[in-house]
Amino acid sequence: MTNGAREVLLDVKDLRVEFKIRGRHPFVAVKDVSFEVYKGETFGLVGETGSGKTTIGRAIIRINETADGVIRFRGEKINGEIPKERDRMVTQKIQMIFQDPMASLNERAKVDYIVSEGLYNTKNYKDEADRVAKVEKALLEVGLLPEFASRFPHEFSGGQRQRIGVARALIMEPEFIIADEPISSLDVSIRAQVLNLMSSLQKDKGLTYMFISHDLSVVRFIADRVAVIHRGEIVELAETEELFKYPLHPYTRSLLSAIPTPDPRVEREKRVMVYDPRSHDYSQDKPRFVEIRKGHFVMGNTAELTQYEAMM
Amino acid sequence: MGSSRQDKFQQLSDGFLALSEEEAERVSSYSDELFRPAEFDTEAAEKAGYSNYSYWGSTLRLFLSNKVSVFLLVFLAALLVFTFVQPYLPNQLHPNTIYQDPETGIHYRNVKPNAKFWFGTNNIGQDLWSRIWSGTRTSLFIGLCVALVTNVVGITLGSIWGYARKWDKLFTEIYNLFDNIPYTVLRMLITFIMRPSLFTMIFVMCLTGWIRMAKYIRNQILIYRDREYNLASRCLGTPALRIVVKNIMPQLVSVIMLQTALCIPDAIGSEVFLTYIGLGLPVSIPSLGNLINEGRLVMLVPAQRYQLFFPVIVVSIITVSFYALGNAFADASDPRNHRR
Amino acid sequence: MSDSGRTSETILRVEDLVVKFGLRGQVLTALRGVSLDLREGESLAIVGESGAGKSVFTKCFLGMLDANGWVDSGSIMFEGQDLAKFTTEKEWLRIRGKKIAMVFQDPMTSLNPLRTVGSQISEVLGLHEGLRGDDAKSRTYEILDQVGINDPEMRYRQYPHEFSGGMRQRVVIAIAVACNPKILICDEPTTALDVTIQAQILDLVKRLQEQLGLTIIYITHDLGVVANVADTVAVMYAGDVVEYGSAEEVFYDPRHPYTWALLSSLPQLGIKGQPLYSIRGTPPSLFADIKGDAFAPRNPNALAIDLMERPPYYKVTPTHYARTWLLDPRATPIEPPEAIKAMRAKYKRDAQ
Repeated sequence: MTNGAREVLLDVKDLRVEFKIRGRHPFVAVKDVSFEVYKGETFGLVGETGSGKTTIGRAIIRINETADGVIRFRGEKINGEIPKERDRMVTQKIQMIFQDPMASLNERAKVDYIVSEGLYNTKNYKDEADRVAKVEKALLEVGLLPEFASRFPHEFSGGQRQRIGVARALIMEPEFIIADEPISSLDVSIRAQVLNLMSSLQKDKGLTYMFISHDLSVVRFIADRVAVIHRGEIVELAETEELFKYPLHPYTRSLLSAIPTPDPRVEREKRVMVYDPRSHDYSQDKPRFVEIRKGHFVMGNTAELTQYEAMM
Repeated sequence: MGSSRQDKFQQLSDGFLALSEEEAERVSSYSDELFRPAEFDTEAAEKAGYSNYSYWGSTLRLFLSNKVSVFLLVFLAALLVFTFVQPYLPNQLHPNTIYQDPETGIHYRNVKPNAKFWFGTNNIGQDLWSRIWSGTRTSLFIGLCVALVTNVVGITLGSIWGYARKWDKLFTEIYNLFDNIPYTVLRMLITFIMRPSLFTMIFVMCLTGWIRMAKYIRNQILIYRDREYNLASRCLGTPALRIVVKNIMPQLVSVIMLQTALCIPDAIGSEVFLTYIGLGLPVSIPSLGNLINEGRLVMLVPAQRYQLFFPVIVVSIITVSFYALGNAFADASDPRNHRR
Repeated sequence: MSDSGRTSETILRVEDLVVKFGLRGQVLTALRGVSLDLREGESLAIVGESGAGKSVFTKCFLGMLDANGWVDSGSIMFEGQDLAKFTTEKEWLRIRGKKIAMVFQDPMTSLNPLRTVGSQISEVLGLHEGLRGDDAKSRTYEILDQVGINDPEMRYRQYPHEFSGGMRQRVVIAIAVACNPKILICDEPTTALDVTIQAQILDLVKRLQEQLGLTIIYITHDLGVVANVADTVAVMYAGDVVEYGSAEEVFYDPRHPYTWALLSSLPQLGIKGQPLYSIRGTPPSLFADIKGDAFAPRNPNALAIDLMERPPYYKVTPTHYARTWLLDPRATPIEPPEAIKAMRAKYKRDAQ
């Protein structure tokens, strides 16, 4: 499936994810979310806690069930009930990197087992020697020494553990990796290591990333396109620099105004805009998610859209 | 000091802070060579931060550091070994034989502890020493069987209950059903139907015991089920069984050991109780419950109180030891205690 | 450290503090001789990665070291007393909450979920200022108002779970400042909060500082927060303060290689498409004695002497010090990373 010149790898349309609460109405975590991810790019998904960004990632990789909408990977539907074959395909081609390196590895298993776990499931190796070779290769690719395979996770630092998580995903030879806040739990000095690793792997293997984060500075650095999500809805989507230069939606603007900068003079002069969801009047004029300029989408009703157009 | 060195010293000491004069002098005397760039070892940078923590190592160390636990473990182990070795020792009497004076033919009834009968005899003339050890064997056997069965059944069903969301409702209903029936009534009913015997007793205790272990395991599984490392395993396609066995079970070692350790004295206690209400083992099989019951009947006669004391002491020692050891092990194997 | 260039009084002086922990039979040296002066009314930010010792350092001011930790040597002079020599809870109770207060990272676990918010604030007032009943209540309403919580009468009766994350943090701050402490320590106060709430909380703390004349110590790993709030910055690494200076000095003219590495590895200073400057390896184990500069094994620009002897503090300006041999006049001049040079150039330009 192609859109103009670029191949669409993942296509999400009208996605809705609900969580059932006993005795009450289900909580709608994600509603009417639509976007495309192109092959080879890094797609940033930015939002604050509770915005639904993690839920979207987990819905794609089939941990969360979808209530409505379609998620297509290479043209095939991957949400809801799907044939076993396709489920296996998803397991192999789509992988996830988790946020907390202290919680995302099995403490009682050796690194060797942790990294090979996916291989055991898909039987994607010829024999024991082949498996060991694959584990070694994966560890080396993430900058770890092969001898680490016989150790346990608690023997490693946060950054090293996160890299073990990356190795675990890489060994499956995926095409699409969902990185859910991969550096938020890491120390500041280690974040750069992991970001660099992700970039170089992308160049070497032609990977496509969905980078979920609450940190706009990181997303600005690493993402090609960014979607801003607020309370389960995408309010704006554009190429990174376009978004930072011409933020249209008031929520985007408030987020941008609050980004911390490591520059005392800039910080002293900073004025943070507060976003008030009640400032929208959607009683009569309903909002739509519209492409206001090429590649730049924003959520707004007719009155707001006219405003936004004038701003550009 | 030569003038150029003095200048250097002056330059340096203006720039130094919090150095004593000798230190400042020492530092300023260093050769310039030392201030050239050094070789950078990239591998050394990566190797830093290795910790040699071992889970079982720390568990063992913590356990052994508690002198009381070690003593109890040794004592209990010795007791258990003795229990099973006792019949093969020389000069042991038979638990069920009624002993009588070879000359007079009078049964040796209610004889206080003496050289021949180390724990005395009961009111029909049976040797209490051998009866106690035989009874302990039986009671321990019951305890171990019950522990084994409730563990296997409880862990298996508890895992399914906790992990497979769709079974949760069904199991919870079954649990509520069992929970609302008074155990005693249930046990009485079944023992009555099936007639008292060793098998009946074990069966009855397993029937009511698996539920507690299952619920416990289910609660633990709920805690670990949605942790990130288990989500990661699901993303990698790991089947549910392997996630439970390889990811979650190892975390539950400590709680399972505790439940097992408590199960045995609980079984013995239940057996004593059931015997008390008349649903215990047949009198022909000596058990701690039977012995305590028999002893209870003569409790008020001071001369015969020993018939109650000995079995009670044995039960108390076993109960306290298992409880204490179970807790000590659970504490030692809890990773949160390993910091110390 | 010399205090020429400063006008206000020193209210806390730490000298050569060494703190150790007993862990699994071994001894870990968490602080390896830290010295620091805290001036009245200033905002000091202590930056460093986890394990650098920032939290341990401030816990010493409140006697809140974990049970397996102890002060091995050194002094903490506050109001004429040496806090490092305190042994009884009684001594600490006169300080904690009353003279020195602390705000922790996670407001959810800092508040008692079973008691109303108002009663938790009133409790502190009762303990330290002897206020009870209606006096305590009305003072509590004042404080709730001061921290920006509307409708204090209603909020007084609510429980922590009825508040949002940012509001809870305001409550925690209210409890901390209720008795007008001299020093307020904020340990990662905004890490668990969203960016927009973070800005509001930091503004609140700054406002309270002005109103109540507080001296504040921020502990954080977020350099953006530091740039926002700090007058002075202390950079900690492996249990030691490696650089200390005013915020502008540390950000625009950093001198220690670790500070360079820390600043240049920020994505805000990165150039898209190019790898970020990253520091190899991990901080050293604090179980062993560290020879030389703790950062040297990870520093591609280390000098030979960095691996041999721990550097003393060199003075850059009367208010700016760094513990690095690079500042010795004999040292081979080393170029800082591009990002640092760009910062320097930018601010030289702005100054002109």
